[in-house]
Amino acid sequence: MRTHFSPPAFFEGVRDMAPMLLGIVPFGMVCGVGAIAAGASPVAALAMSMIMFSGAAQIVATQLLAAGAPFAVIVLSCLVVSLRLLMYSAALAPYLRALDNRWRNLLSFVLTDQAFAGTLQRFRASDDLAANASYFLGSGALLWVVWQLATVAGILAGQIIPASWQLDFVVPLCFIAVLVPLLRDRISILVFAVAAIAVVVLDAMPLRLSMICGGLLAIGAGVLADEMTSRAARRKTR
Amino acid sequence: MSRELTIWLLIFAVGAITYTARLSFIALFARRDMPPLLAEALKHVPVAMVTAIVVPAVVFMPPGVLRIDPANAKLIAALAAGAVAWWSGSAGPTMAVGRTAAATIAVGMGVLWLLRYLMGQP
Repeated sequence: MRTHFSPPAFFEGVRDMAPMLLGIVPFGMVCGVGAIAAGASPVAALAMSMIMFSGAAQIVATQLLAAGAPFAVIVLSCLVVSLRLLMYSAALAPYLRALDNRWRNLLSFVLTDQAFAGTLQRFRASDDLAANASYFLGSGALLWVVWQLATVAGILAGQIIPASWQLDFVVPLCFIAVLVPLLRDRISILVFAVAAIAVVVLDAMPLRLSMICGGLLAIGAGVLADEMTSRAARRKTR
Repeated sequence: MSRELTIWLLIFAVGAITYTARLSFIALFARRDMPPLLAEALKHVPVAMVTAIVVPAVVFMPPGVLRIDPANAKLIAALAAGAVAWWSGSAGPTMAVGRTAAATIAVGMGVLWLLRYLMGQP
């Protein structure tokens, strides 16, 4: 089906995404700072933001690079962090199925945690396909542009701000802001605990494998706990 | 392999991964549903991986040396930031996310700088 671009919905998407920038700008800056600190040239640092366009993957890549991890381990770790995008892709797919390929390829490129969170509610509320797609594109385009500007600011700041300010600590802080609100149920807290303990215990593993192994162990623990609780619930209803 | 070449190869390899993951169910397997076990596992990816990224950055100082004590300024700053994220993250859905991040970063950096000043570190 041919979909028409709707400028009002596009700008509505831009407007609704604006409050999110408070969290995006420092994160993007840190990605710029981190890439430079890991030895990337300014052009490569910006290319990282333009092409990977994922704060989590960029941070993982630059931190592991700085820690001297082998290429394959870095790629594998980035792959595991990027798995959550599969979840967003699957959740949005039913609403985007009727779009033509060009639109789907374009919207996929700007699918991020923030764009997902911002558009899912609207998709559920309205079935105007053209307006929804344009709204998504507006949200995603704003995030992409601001992400690049923030990265450039970080590349510049990284060369001016002294290391004693410890700006690199903004990285864990950004992730804490994402993580803590997710810890609202017992299984999430279990997954958190397993990941935290495993990553510390496994720290001595060679090739900086501790992050990926700790994460995978915690995911396994979460799946197991889900299975056990749903089995217990089934037994109760019987 | 030079550092710069490695970085460019990484950019394209990881870029291909992130784009493929984004495209996956929207375009590549648009006609298929996600296997239930995969869906269950993916649900836990954010908490598991973000924890595995954050915890080492906070409890090891310098790298490889475990420091879970009040003299680890990063640990205390992270706990303060976590408290802010908990309190501010419960406020509401989507649009609160940006505010939560800004407040968490501000408090975390503020506490870190204050503690380092009090401990007489530069």
